[in-house]
Amino acid sequence: MAVKFFGQFMVEKGLISSDALLKAIALQDSSNLKFGETAKSMGFITNADIERVHNAQRKEDLQFGDMSVKLGMITQDQLKEVLTKQKNSHLHIGEALVKVGAVKAEDLRKHLNAFKADQAPYVVDKVAIPAGVPDPAFAELTADLTYKMLSRIANLTIRPGKCVVVQRLDDNDTVVDMKMSGSIKARYLLSISRDVQNAIARAILKADDVSKESEEMLNDTVMEFVNIVCGNIAAKAAQMGKTIEIAPPKNIKAKGGIPAPVGGIGLLFPVFVADGRIEVGLFIEKA
Amino acid sequence: MKKVLVVDDSLSVGRELSKIITGSGEFEVIGHAKNGAEAIQMYRQVHPDIVCMDMNMPVMDGMTALRTLVVLDKNAKVVMVTSLGGVGDKYTEALKLGAKGVISKPFLSDDVLKTLRGL
Repeated sequence: MAVKFFGQFMVEKGLISSDALLKAIALQDSSNLKFGETAKSMGFITNADIERVHNAQRKEDLQFGDMSVKLGMITQDQLKEVLTKQKNSHLHIGEALVKVGAVKAEDLRKHLNAFKADQAPYVVDKVAIPAGVPDPAFAELTADLTYKMLSRIANLTIRPGKCVVVQRLDDNDTVVDMKMSGSIKARYLLSISRDVQNAIARAILKADDVSKESEEMLNDTVMEFVNIVCGNIAAKAAQMGKTIEIAPPKNIKAKGGIPAPVGGIGLLFPVFVADGRIEVGLFIEKA
Repeated sequence: MKKVLVVDDSLSVGRELSKIITGSGEFEVIGHAKNGAEAIQMYRQVHPDIVCMDMNMPVMDGMTALRTLVVLDKNAKVVMVTSLGGVGDKYTEALKLGAKGVISKPFLSDDVLKTLRGL
């Protein structure tokens, strides 16, 4: 019922133990060399170069390979060669599980197919993102997972509207804010009307009637919904090689609206429902 | 009956987990801590058999609390219940630190009880 990675799926299905997964991951860690180590093994850079790159990365947010090119240690062609070597020699978790004896080689394809079927509901569908948005793939998965969770968890019948760039997100009955950091610095904002809040509360509390619940509990269910959505966004982003940390969600009062970050970009994804109003904001800070 | 401490800053998750755990008739929820720091304090006071703990909490997050709990009691049985379960690095970090299991949110009651019964 959530975005998962293959090792987690195998443990949850009882097909491997947690210890076996840890052994396979340890094998991956020792086999899959980082960019710097791979470049060193190919004779392109030295240990001193690796240290120089790390120092430079503290001042500028660039990946190791790009920084080595910028510092003149390797050429663009060498960068491609290193990336190709890394890709071709990468030990995937499934192969690692076979190597540590946790899975039989002949069963691996069957397990991978079962995993693919389990995760099929979370394959990201196309969402049109305005031109010029940095990292449109992340914006796309954020919107798409939100739509999926509104349908599947909150049981709402929704119709996504067109994503637009905005200067502010308008106030609503409830607005929940979650800060994201790591590969992308952004605020995820869910702005909803009372009807939608009740629908989310019914789903989270697994109750038919939430009319006697306190305001605190109703707000809490929306924060938990946002926590689930953003946790799954982080999981999906990790599959794309991005690290996303999330802070605990906050219920905020937004009288006058929430302004888009200065120098950044405010994306608004309107979501149409029969009763009520939903707006999803992704406010991305300047890189 | 095994005693369970629920640790989550969310009131609704605390209520839902308690309903599932207590409703099974096999476990008893003996407390609800709202963050990692409260969890450590309550662990010392009530000595639960099992801790069901969120990762993403204010004041002290679940990973920090897990590190402390396994130092306090090397036999501590901590299960992480988190929306971040699908993040491979978080999942494996929790297991490396000594968590006995990781349950992803949104959770199903069967998954929660299956994990607790396996401890």
